[in-house]
Amino acid sequence: MTAILDIQDVRKSYGSYAALKGVSLSVNQGEFIALVGPSGCGKTTLLKQIAGFEEPDTGRIAIAGADMAGVPAAKRPTSMVFQKLALFPHMTVAENIGFPLKLRRTDTAEIKKRVGQMIELMQLKGEYLTRYPRQLSGGEQQRVALARSMVSAPKLLLLDEPLSALDVKLKKVLQAELKRLHRSVGVTFVHVTHDLEEAMMLADRICVMRDGAILQLGTPADIYYRPAGSFVSGFIGETNLLPITISERTSSGLIYQAADIVDTDGRIAADLVAGKVAKGPALLMLRPELLRVLPPGETADGAIAAEVTEMFGKGGTVQYRARTPGGQMLVVEIPGTSSLPMRIGDKVRLGFTKKDIYVFGVEA
Amino acid sequence: MIARLEGRFIDIVLWGSLAAILIFFYIPIFTLIAFSFQEGRFLTLPFEGISLRWYGELFRNTNALNALWNSTLIAIITTVIATAIGTMAAIAAVRYRFRGTDAFRLLAGVPLAFPQLLLGIVLLLWFSVLGRMLDFSTGISTAIIGHIVYITPFAMVIVAVQVYNFDATVEDAARDCGASSFEVYRYVTIPLLWPGIFSAAIFAFLLSWGNFYLTYSLAGSTRTLPTFIFSGIAIGSSPLYPAIATVIFIPGILLVILANRLRRT
Amino acid sequence: MADEVPRSWRDPDLLIKALPTVLLQTTCFLAPLVMTFLLTFQRSRNFQLQWSWDLWTWTDVFSKPHYWTILGHTIFMAAATVAICLIIAFPIAYGLATRFKAWENEIKVLITFAFITDATLKIYGWALFLDKNGMANYALSSIGLPPEMVAFLYTDWATLLGMVYSLSAFAIFTLYLSISNIDRSLILAAYDAGAGKFRAHWEVTLPLCKPGIWAGSVLIFLLSVGAFLEPKVLGGGKSPMSAELIRQTFETRVNWPLGAALTLVLMVVSVFIVLLFSRLIGLKRAGLAA
Repeated sequence: MTAILDIQDVRKSYGSYAALKGVSLSVNQGEFIALVGPSGCGKTTLLKQIAGFEEPDTGRIAIAGADMAGVPAAKRPTSMVFQKLALFPHMTVAENIGFPLKLRRTDTAEIKKRVGQMIELMQLKGEYLTRYPRQLSGGEQQRVALARSMVSAPKLLLLDEPLSALDVKLKKVLQAELKRLHRSVGVTFVHVTHDLEEAMMLADRICVMRDGAILQLGTPADIYYRPAGSFVSGFIGETNLLPITISERTSSGLIYQAADIVDTDGRIAADLVAGKVAKGPALLMLRPELLRVLPPGETADGAIAAEVTEMFGKGGTVQYRARTPGGQMLVVEIPGTSSLPMRIGDKVRLGFTKKDIYVFGVEA
Repeated sequence: MIARLEGRFIDIVLWGSLAAILIFFYIPIFTLIAFSFQEGRFLTLPFEGISLRWYGELFRNTNALNALWNSTLIAIITTVIATAIGTMAAIAAVRYRFRGTDAFRLLAGVPLAFPQLLLGIVLLLWFSVLGRMLDFSTGISTAIIGHIVYITPFAMVIVAVQVYNFDATVEDAARDCGASSFEVYRYVTIPLLWPGIFSAAIFAFLLSWGNFYLTYSLAGSTRTLPTFIFSGIAIGSSPLYPAIATVIFIPGILLVILANRLRRT
Repeated sequence: MADEVPRSWRDPDLLIKALPTVLLQTTCFLAPLVMTFLLTFQRSRNFQLQWSWDLWTWTDVFSKPHYWTILGHTIFMAAATVAICLIIAFPIAYGLATRFKAWENEIKVLITFAFITDATLKIYGWALFLDKNGMANYALSSIGLPPEMVAFLYTDWATLLGMVYSLSAFAIFTLYLSISNIDRSLILAAYDAGAGKFRAHWEVTLPLCKPGIWAGSVLIFLLSVGAFLEPKVLGGGKSPMSAELIRQTFETRVNWPLGAALTLVLMVVSVFIVLLFSRLIGLKRAGLAA
């Protein structure tokens, strides 16, 4: 696999504010990558450097092997879908989609043909061609914006939170649409979003950013089950973080103590531990759906005693909150049809399997 | 009950004051239009008869025609220059940040709040002193400069409203589509700012076309329609002057309606 | 919207757009003002300007109460104009922003046209209307009222009428802008709190459109201290105001230094009054910002 986009140690400051503090990232041809993080994390800044609206202070950006330094946005083989869509309000749908071709001096018949293909690809109706953007619904405008970005056959499609302004239902439809589009055209997508759930649905790899730096780069499953730290783990869904103390670290794993956990051997294998963890305090992560209620007498790799304090039905599953004797709150999610339903006030034992846990250091 | 009565009362007050102010605003305008159709020589009532006599006189009066030509010439040149400079200043003032943004906005806008007569006098002094050094005297070109100084800020403010409501990401989008700086202006920025630029041009034309104070100070011996009328008031006038006034109103009302129509679409 | 990073003055985009304005207003506005200031230190002899660099003109200005009486009269008329304009503009602006929706554009066109039409014409129209043989008296006597009832042409009242006429549109537009920016729900909240309509507007609308009131007042005040046509044509030149005095100084007496000094005095005093009031009201830059 060849890298279509190669970013080497890119830094960018606005006055005294450092928006990107040395970012390196390599994206493969045909990949769908999501840049995720809270607002101000630098994800949109990074996208602007890739698109060429801004030049990084230092570092190198290469697209398809060519260094992009000094190449303006107009000359880069990239195409952007903007958060506010940025359709030209004074042009019809056909003029909007055909605009990149018109600028490349493509002849009229060819423009017409390619615009027609785009309309078909985006599943828009032919009669929309003569309408103006304001006469279309939000979802239709979105498709027009995508069509305009795709028409010039870019090597990289950059998406700057294009779905963030839509209502939940339409968002779901367009997420599926994006996924389909990515599969059918084979173009590399770089998708910026603050919604990790969206990134999980769409992306092959996710790049989590914070404060102008990359925290973690990995597959959706990595991000969910093997987060690099408590920030990433808390960024999607709910999770349980139990404080533990590591007394010994060896090449095969580590030995730990924890107030509330009854562990069979007190050991954790090395592949369940984030890289940097050393001796001392650390956090043990357990996703709510990986905890189960232990029937009396049954044992598990690890068990935690707790008292149920709250419960919420979530449709297919039921979520409980429980407190350990040490005062730690736990979230547990079990199927609604579970043979061991719990009630508020019940004292229970919650068990987990060793391979489901993950350990990382305490962040400052 | 009381609230309903209050509401009814407020409606009456509001529509009543609107009617009153419109009558107030249009009294002198209709007075002039009425007198322009007076058949007799004097501006007194009752009319001796209704006729278009003075409109005929107007088109035979070379001084009046000269004034008409001068007004038109000054207004057209002023409109083009003031609208161009004002549009650019509006983009700089609203969209750009640079050292001295506030000072720039103040400098660009302050002639709006400067009494025209005083502006005329200050400029007259300036041109007289410069004229003595560089050997020129006041005339049409100094009047045009004065008009531009005064009218550019108006044009800037009108375009600035349009710039303010303009989403700059469409320019980025155009650049991303492959447009050069020039193409961004040609296909996106100018077309989108056009309603604002067009109304600014109309206002600039009307402000210059009807301007009295600056022309009076700066045009030297050149007469425009407003200064021609002013001299007429002093001499003891005939219905020729109301007829000129009525002629001046016509392009005004047409252009204002047009500008308004454009801003709505 | 605006730049994230300040531009350098070497940026060609900025230069092309800002430089023409900067050049225009420095060479044809600031420089003339500075020169006007310098002229006040010269003298005028036999209708000729003499470069003498002394305080002779200023001594003259400060020793003649006549100039200051006229200035006081001018300020008074300007203040009266501001007050009347605000009072008559408020209902119109409020109506435009809230109740006249169906006719909003037509009303705006009518007001704009009346506003933008040249002042000379309109003042001339007023003179014809108010004249003792004019429209108003003709209309009144034709319905049986005694002749020459309207007899205030060539008084301060006529001047005031003309000034209010010329400038009230500024108040309508600035008030309209700030009233239409007020969040409707605030007024509804006031109703909800039990306020009647009048009370709600008194407590909510009025304080919130303070910037508009202020911007309109400053504009009208500054423009009316320079009023010239109204006192001359409608006031008959009987009680001259500063602008007329200044014009005479230039044209009739051909005394440039004195004219320049009087111009500066008028401007400085007006700006000082505006600043004083803005300090009193506690609205520092609202006027300029609006």
